[in-house]
Amino acid sequence: MRDVAFGQYYPSNSFVHKCDPRAKILFLIVYIVAVFLCKNFYALGACAALFILIACVSNVPFSSLLRSVKAVLFLLLFMAVLNLFLYDGQTVLWSWKFITITKEAIYYTIFLAVRLFLLVLGSSLLTLTTTPVSLADGIESLLSPLKLIRFPVHELALIMSIALRFIPILTEETGRIMNAQKARGADFETGGLIKRVKAIIPTLIPLLISAFRRADELGDAMDARCYSGSKVRTKYKKLTFTWRDLLALLFGVALLTGVILLRVYTQALI
Amino acid sequence: MEAVKFDNVYFSYDREERQGEQGDVFDLGGSYALRGINLTVQEGEFVAVLGHNGSGKSTLARLVNGLLTPDSGSVSVFGETATDDKKLFEIRKQVGIVFQNPDNQTVASIVEDDIAFGPENVGIPREEIGERIAFALNAVGMNEFRHATPSRLSGGQKQRIAIAGVLALRPRVMILDEATAMLDPRGRKEVMDVVLKLNKEERITVILITHFPEEALLADRAVVLHRGEIVLEGAPETVFEKGEELKKYSLVMPRPVRICRALTEGGVSVADSMDAEAIAKQIKERTAVLDVKNTETTHPCTSSLGVMPTYTGEDIGRVFCQNLSYVYNAKTAFATTALSGVDLEIYPGDFFGIIGHTGSGKSTFVQHLNALLKVPSAEKKYKPKKPKKGKPLPPKIVLKVNGYDLTDKTTDFLALRSKVGMVFQYPEYQLFAETVFDDVAFGYRNFNAKPSEAEVAEAVKAALETVGLNYEEIKNRSPFELSGGQRRRVAIAGVIVTKPEILVLDEPAAGLDPLGKEEIMSLLHKIHADWCKTVIIVSHDMDEIAENCNRAAIFAEGSVLSVDTPSALFKAADALSAKGLDVPFTAKITRALAKLGLKIENDFTETDFINQVLAYAKMAGAGTRLTGGADNA
Repeated sequence: MRDVAFGQYYPSNSFVHKCDPRAKILFLIVYIVAVFLCKNFYALGACAALFILIACVSNVPFSSLLRSVKAVLFLLLFMAVLNLFLYDGQTVLWSWKFITITKEAIYYTIFLAVRLFLLVLGSSLLTLTTTPVSLADGIESLLSPLKLIRFPVHELALIMSIALRFIPILTEETGRIMNAQKARGADFETGGLIKRVKAIIPTLIPLLISAFRRADELGDAMDARCYSGSKVRTKYKKLTFTWRDLLALLFGVALLTGVILLRVYTQALI
Repeated sequence: MEAVKFDNVYFSYDREERQGEQGDVFDLGGSYALRGINLTVQEGEFVAVLGHNGSGKSTLARLVNGLLTPDSGSVSVFGETATDDKKLFEIRKQVGIVFQNPDNQTVASIVEDDIAFGPENVGIPREEIGERIAFALNAVGMNEFRHATPSRLSGGQKQRIAIAGVLALRPRVMILDEATAMLDPRGRKEVMDVVLKLNKEERITVILITHFPEEALLADRAVVLHRGEIVLEGAPETVFEKGEELKKYSLVMPRPVRICRALTEGGVSVADSMDAEAIAKQIKERTAVLDVKNTETTHPCTSSLGVMPTYTGEDIGRVFCQNLSYVYNAKTAFATTALSGVDLEIYPGDFFGIIGHTGSGKSTFVQHLNALLKVPSAEKKYKPKKPKKGKPLPPKIVLKVNGYDLTDKTTDFLALRSKVGMVFQYPEYQLFAETVFDDVAFGYRNFNAKPSEAEVAEAVKAALETVGLNYEEIKNRSPFELSGGQRRRVAIAGVIVTKPEILVLDEPAAGLDPLGKEEIMSLLHKIHADWCKTVIIVSHDMDEIAENCNRAAIFAEGSVLSVDTPSALFKAADALSAKGLDVPFTAKITRALAKLGLKIENDFTETDFINQVLAYAKMAGAGTRLTGGADNA
């Protein structure tokens, strides 16, 4: 459970870290669109190249990035196997009874896997280089036009920030409660699905109760620190758009244009 | 100027329910959390509010800044009462509260963002917030942590951040609601130093709600609450003079004061002091009436503690461990060595103490004892490696607990866990079942294949009675409606229900008030006497170890520093202090006495220390030249 790198912020002072969260979020959106528009390995290569460039500039160690991939590895394998056998291709390489593997299927599987990798890596790079708070600030700011239709943007951002803040605390607590149950003979590792789900219930109840208790205390602490919604509230961290952010967005636009051009002028993989 | 004023304040938590009923609200005196409180705190004053759990002291704090409003009477802050929202807002700016659990009062994942939360709420301009963050961090001595993540800080540091978060609002009054209860002694000292500094240098009025009598002694004035009423008030020294009365309110004297009083009663009159060296000096003056020349003292150890059980070849209740090492997240970028080469033997019959700072490896060690953490060779997937040329194999790990070999993957780990019980920190928060009975029975049903209901009931009954609870009365109640102390007992019952031979407890007394601590420790002695062969407690309270354990091990940086009887361990007080570890208060006095040239042999329990000092004084007073140390030979 603790292995899941929940976008834990990796502190550094790099170019990427210093970018405005709004620019980073917008860039990520552009990047995701670009990755989805890729039709062949040339385009995907362009995306990968840009990603590697940014990853190098960001100072985030490669191992941290890879940990986020670990979380989706199972999904990736599942998808790969499915595609490998089910994709219809012409050049049959190997066949046994109803299973056939074609050259096209192999290419396509690799293509999908790389695409998914790039998506996961891109999003986790955002959370690794952006503190949860400034991420929430960025989302708040990007959503702020919605205030006009009375959408509670500030509250939403605060909820996000607090949720992120409590993830490590509750993860630790889950570990502690599970250990206590194990010490009393609970078995989380063997048996069928129903048995395992049943074994988890005794850990969920104390966790839930503790979450409510914490929420209660947090509410009091926030009240005591004069929290009263967004009426008079100021913001300490003001987001400022600088040349960095412009540069980042230019890169994003360039990538998107490149991918679209490749889409028009090169052969599609499929 | 009056900072805070309570004028005949009544408060009850079930006001809404009661308002539907007829009659005078004052009839239901029993359900009041506060009854007729009159209290004035002057600006710049430092007031300690003492009281056992449920005395109403936390309610008092919440009334001051309007988290609660009184049923009758009034609470005013600098002459203002929170009559409407606008005034409430003004009052909250003036009064900051720091709560007990540091984790539950932080809203942001970066220190500076969290401190900014308060000023942002009241609409401080951006530039000024930056200045206020700098001021607040400086005041709590945490400048270098401005961009840190709170969840990676120590308890004391987290609580200092919480104080900074309150300070950034520039309050004139600060309330600490048991803000040190969940901290270790080091963290507690950090926080109290900050509070004292704020009071003395920034002239911030402090209301300190606590159940540690030692902390109350730092205040200008102490107020004792009991069942919602103020029962004692005055200078802390005079309040603690009323020893018997304090007991009635479930409070105890601070240990140093208790020692001074006992010595005075025994004929060596020592004025109250919190300072070990001052006490030692007085003892020296009172007893050094004679020119004694002998430097050797021979007071035999008389206490029942400090006795080594001899190993009889029996495996039940024994822990034997050699070369135990453990690395968290091995082979990743986050690898941290928690244990490196631990050698330790715990004998059957020991009441064993494990001492060490957070991060010393003590928790990692005890989790090995019932295989919550396993050595590599006990993992299912383990395959022995062939030795590589030129690379010596790591030393072989030996870990035997209660006769089970924990380095062998074929060991029945479930059976082991039924014989090695483990009680975690704050076990009361791990209860889950609908009734106390079901919760206690959980372990018994897991460990025994298809037990009959009669067997279960018998085991649960025995366990609940052992922890001092009435089986018939409590078995069908929900664990969540019990008091904190009862819940902890139920949790312990849930572990001992399988009759373990070894019982391990991680900080069994954490978060309890002094009387609660004493009760839990005497419960553990009872369990040790007639239920479990070996009891192992993990603690960072040296006094607790000195008072209760027959042997103890000190963990530091992942290995065992030394293993011995507490009295032998604490004799090397200087070495411990060098490692940043605390020593029992009696050891501090003994050390100060030794520096003054007076050697008192004792095993550092409070009673033994007092007895030995008095015995020495008697000899000195009787004019014999048998004993004592001389500084002018």
